[in-house]
Amino acid sequence: MTTTSNASIPPEAILQRLKDVLEDFIEDWDIELEEEIGRDTLLLADLEFESIDIIQLVVAIEETFGKRKLPFEQVLMKDGRYVDDLSVGAIADFLHGQFS
Amino acid sequence: MSKTSTLFIGLDGCTYTVLDHLTAEQPGVGVVMPFMKQLMEGGTRAKLRSTPNPLTPPAWTTMQTGRGPGVHGVFDFIRSEDHGGEVYWTLYDSRDIDAETIWQIASRQGKKVACLNFPLTAPPPENINGCSVPGFIPAKHMRRNTHPRELFERMKQDIPGFDPKELAWDFESEKQAMESLDEDATENWVRYHLPREEQWYRVADYVLRNEQPDLLAVMFDGVDKIQHQAWEFLDPALLSETPTPWQQRMRDVCVEYFRKLDGFIQSLVETAGPEARVFFCSDHGFTAQFDQLRINTYLGDLGYLKWAEDDGSEQAKRREASDFANLDWDQTLAYCRTPSSNGIHIRVAEKEGDPGIQPEEYETFRDKLIEDLKALKNPEGEPMIIDVLKREDWFPGPYMKHAADLTLVLHDHGFVSIRHREPAVVKRDRPAGTHHPDGILMAYGKGIAAKGMTPRRKIADVPSMLLHSMGLPVPEDLEGKVPKPFYDREWLSTNPIVVGAATVAAAGQRDIEEMDESEKQQIIEQLQMLGYME
Repeated sequence: MTTTSNASIPPEAILQRLKDVLEDFIEDWDIELEEEIGRDTLLLADLEFESIDIIQLVVAIEETFGKRKLPFEQVLMKDGRYVDDLSVGAIADFLHGQFS
Repeated sequence: MSKTSTLFIGLDGCTYTVLDHLTAEQPGVGVVMPFMKQLMEGGTRAKLRSTPNPLTPPAWTTMQTGRGPGVHGVFDFIRSEDHGGEVYWTLYDSRDIDAETIWQIASRQGKKVACLNFPLTAPPPENINGCSVPGFIPAKHMRRNTHPRELFERMKQDIPGFDPKELAWDFESEKQAMESLDEDATENWVRYHLPREEQWYRVADYVLRNEQPDLLAVMFDGVDKIQHQAWEFLDPALLSETPTPWQQRMRDVCVEYFRKLDGFIQSLVETAGPEARVFFCSDHGFTAQFDQLRINTYLGDLGYLKWAEDDGSEQAKRREASDFANLDWDQTLAYCRTPSSNGIHIRVAEKEGDPGIQPEEYETFRDKLIEDLKALKNPEGEPMIIDVLKREDWFPGPYMKHAADLTLVLHDHGFVSIRHREPAVVKRDRPAGTHHPDGILMAYGKGIAAKGMTPRRKIADVPSMLLHSMGLPVPEDLEGKVPKPFYDREWLSTNPIVVGAATVAAAGQRDIEEMDESEKQQIIEQLQMLGYME
């Protein structure tokens, strides 16, 4: 897993790195995307994520960005409940908030 | 000739109750595991005491580190994290092991290792010289978590019939291990594990032949899963003399599983060759659970906890259908969080106005709670809880505070239920398989004596034995020892046990904060919503 310093990483680079992680994820998942992964791509609706996949994604993002214990509940939970779905853009914005 | 000096075969949940039975002549069936019979007669074995709560994650982590849960930090399947007042739950993974593993100890001394299908080996552990294919992980994530990555592609190309979907955990199917299933589902559950074990055998055979590691370690976890649902068809004390057609089919498929497993073991041992030593261990044993203890119901009856009001909402219904306690946290002082923990958490107020007991009341409160727990009787009038373990006595180490305050040992070694049902203790319709603290330890091969059964060892001894078998010193801070009775005296004189420098710090470190009670409540709700646990 590639990890680099994130001290001054611009938002577009964060998005690209996140897209790389997701493309690596779904490489052998046998799903057909109508368009390439972008900010509006939804994890459950478009990428067919299940709850265990979200746990794995969190691990992969932490490994990629070289930082553990990121407060993912800020995007995964709302009012004490898990959200119904999550967009790539929302995760990228969260990560940007963490590294800006 | 194989370069592999040490072959380690993990058999999750394996017990002598079954091994002794299946290595003996059975009417109409013969010896189900003839190769294991040969190994048992030509090698040395012992019962192996598991971790205080004999559960897969802490026990296999102790096998991998030689340290107890209070030191390595893994207690259960799930853990929680405190992020600025919000609690977020997830699963333990390899980064949570706060001790150097045997894979890393051997690798940094130039040995090549292969670890196949062990829990908590994803993401791939750092600093591994060799390869790792993780266990307990869904098929969709196996490629990314295999080390090195190209190994996964090679296996796909080179291993006939390689199928990650058969190899990996199907989480929906695995949840059935602890559920009550009907006859057809129980039979299908056992059959589901037959191709899985064959896949792991093929992977192990491929790695053994092509990588030739100094240590090849593979774990077959179907033993545990099958025994949970089919114990009554494996324990000779429970076998029916007049089986129904379904009971006979269940017995037949169990026999088929163990017969195939015996063949896989024989092939791996023969491929490793006569110069290798082969070691077997299980993370815990197995036995029959006859009673069901609904521990939170009992604690509620005694006033230690209060159940939340059922408002009739969909959420309340889902909670009732799940196994996660829906409690009134303002009026709860002690409760059990997960069935697999068999643990009681005592709530201690951290500041004025917080729910829970005052810190100075802790000892008195806990003593009374232990007394009440030990007073519980099963329907026959026997003590239901035969021991109550205090965490400072059984989980010493930097992670002691993450253990439950009290860990229960039930009279039949069963796991508790935390469902809101009455009464607190009931007889099960059928005996279920459950974990016994005594598993197996066996060794065979070059330098191993043929002594048969020897005194009981502990699971922390296993990594010391494997390191010694590879010709490496045993780090001085490992909790286990190399048991001398397992070896030929002459071989041991030329291959002495050497105690060496301490292990190095693990890369992963945690700083989980203590949770307040609202956060604990959130964890339970999150688990329930995801329907992840029993």
